[in-house]
Amino acid sequence: MSPHHPNPSSLKSRFTTRFLRALTKINAQNPISSSSPREILQRFRRIKVAADKSMAYSVRSRRTWSRAMRWKLRSRSWRQASSVRRLKITTSCHQAIMKKTAHERENKTTTGEGVGFGVQTDELRELVPGGEAMDLCNLLDETAHYIKCLTTQVQVMRKIVDFYSP
Amino acid sequence: MATGDNDDVGFKDRHESLMNCPSSQINTNPVSDKVNGMAMSSISMYNKPSNASDSFFGSGWDPIVSLSQSESLVGSSMVSHSEFANSHYPLLMENQGISSTSHFSQYQSDPSFVELVPKLPGFGSGNLSEMVGPFSLPQCGQIANSKCPQNYALNTEVGNERTCTNSTQSRDEHQLSDEGVVGASPNGKRRKRVPESNSPLRSYQNADEEPQKDPSGESSDVPKEQDEKKQKTEQITGVNSRGKQVAKQAKDSSQTGEAPKENYIHVRARRGQATNSHSLAERVRREKISERMRLLQELVPGCNKITGKAVMLDEIINYVQSLQQQVEFLSMKLATVNPELNIDLERVLSKDILHSRGGSAGILGFGPGLNSSHPFPPGIFPGTISGVPSTNPQFPPLPQTVLDNELQSLLQMGFDSNSAMDSLGPNGRLKSEL
Repeated sequence: MSPHHPNPSSLKSRFTTRFLRALTKINAQNPISSSSPREILQRFRRIKVAADKSMAYSVRSRRTWSRAMRWKLRSRSWRQASSVRRLKITTSCHQAIMKKTAHERENKTTTGEGVGFGVQTDELRELVPGGEAMDLCNLLDETAHYIKCLTTQVQVMRKIVDFYSP
Repeated sequence: MATGDNDDVGFKDRHESLMNCPSSQINTNPVSDKVNGMAMSSISMYNKPSNASDSFFGSGWDPIVSLSQSESLVGSSMVSHSEFANSHYPLLMENQGISSTSHFSQYQSDPSFVELVPKLPGFGSGNLSEMVGPFSLPQCGQIANSKCPQNYALNTEVGNERTCTNSTQSRDEHQLSDEGVVGASPNGKRRKRVPESNSPLRSYQNADEEPQKDPSGESSDVPKEQDEKKQKTEQITGVNSRGKQVAKQAKDSSQTGEAPKENYIHVRARRGQATNSHSLAERVRREKISERMRLLQELVPGCNKITGKAVMLDEIINYVQSLQQQVEFLSMKLATVNPELNIDLERVLSKDILHSRGGSAGILGFGPGLNSSHPFPPGIFPGTISGVPSTNPQFPPLPQTVLDNELQSLLQMGFDSNSAMDSLGPNGRLKSEL
């Protein structure tokens, strides 16, 4: 296979560096040796969040889904921080955003897809972060980019796993 | 008044049919200038295209054409133009309100203009005259004041040029200043540059659509649709198209947001397709959607044979779900594995991941910590490795020693996998032994 020197600032490299850094941090925090299922679960959750986070941040925030994901992660971390005030702010922001998205969703539905697949569109909206507030055209766009990023993520993570285990 | 109105209509007619009306031309010229000055960009905008399109139009007709095309101010432009055409300056100033209303009434008489009135409400102002009033009255007044019939001939050339230049500027300003006009400006641009209508009926339709455009300035998509309509064949009856416009106006208004953003897509109706402006916009949307679906089809593996949006969407949904599940699964796996990750490893690992495609996933069996099999472990062999530029100095006796070193070498191998491959050959197994 031809050695390819990927673009140093490509999505893949950005995600890789970020994710690895997060991984090391997580590993540093909890020694793996103590692997009780609960701790493993905890680690798992943290790693998952780290993966999503690094993906969302690696993407130039031009994308709606990445912005939505960042927002979600941030709000989730705030909630976990269990700061009441933060929580209030978060919830208020969240409400504002939800209202906005609901409104947009109404607009979207009223304008009508025109093409007639409502059920799948809704499903897709649930899958893609931030998909509720997009019309079909943009939704498809975001989906394409999201798929691309997801595949990158899976590739990198699989390589890491393979690297660490036979 | 009546005569003025009649003249106005006839004026437009003539204009539409590319008939030369020197008087009207002259009249329109100064008007266009004034219009620009008034930030009636819509008018000036149209001047430009009309100028370009047909020298015949000259300056005189431009304002009229632009007026009709400008979606922002139907009434105002019309009124002003009509006034100009008539060379009834005093009338302009005095009868602005009346002329506008009468003007519209004239339109209404025409069957093609039937929709005009109902459309106005969509514009946000229930009454066209009301809408036009604020715009046209002051402007008309100014225009009327400024222009002089005698100067028309002199100003023709200058006015045209100025109009053209101003039109762009004013258009920009107009767009910035008046969001309602945003759609209009593009629409004006989209208006047909070359007057295609030769029949009076067409001219009527055009004129009819133009006034419709003005009121719909606020909803950009409506004027956009109107433009599209105009661009296509003129065979469509105004009534028919307008009816659909009205029906869909509310629906499309929500989509208006898109129109101003994209700098108007020039759409030409294909033969045998509905040329309703609404359906045109719909078609554009559908095409965009299908284009995106095609892109997605390429992304999702195994979707080449699928035809049909619904099935395709299902596939896409399944694929996204599976990807997300994979991420989750892999993160779970990561959680249970990899204790040895440290900074160096991370660097090395990242390089490995980035630079080695496919095969590199296999990892060399280094030592106790990691046994991974690397497809090309050339690094192991000092002899063979010499050829490999990336060889790191620490290339040592390998295995168990320093993980970092090994990893580094491994990774650097990945770099030059090509060169390494050749030398690999028999050495492939060495690593594992080591």
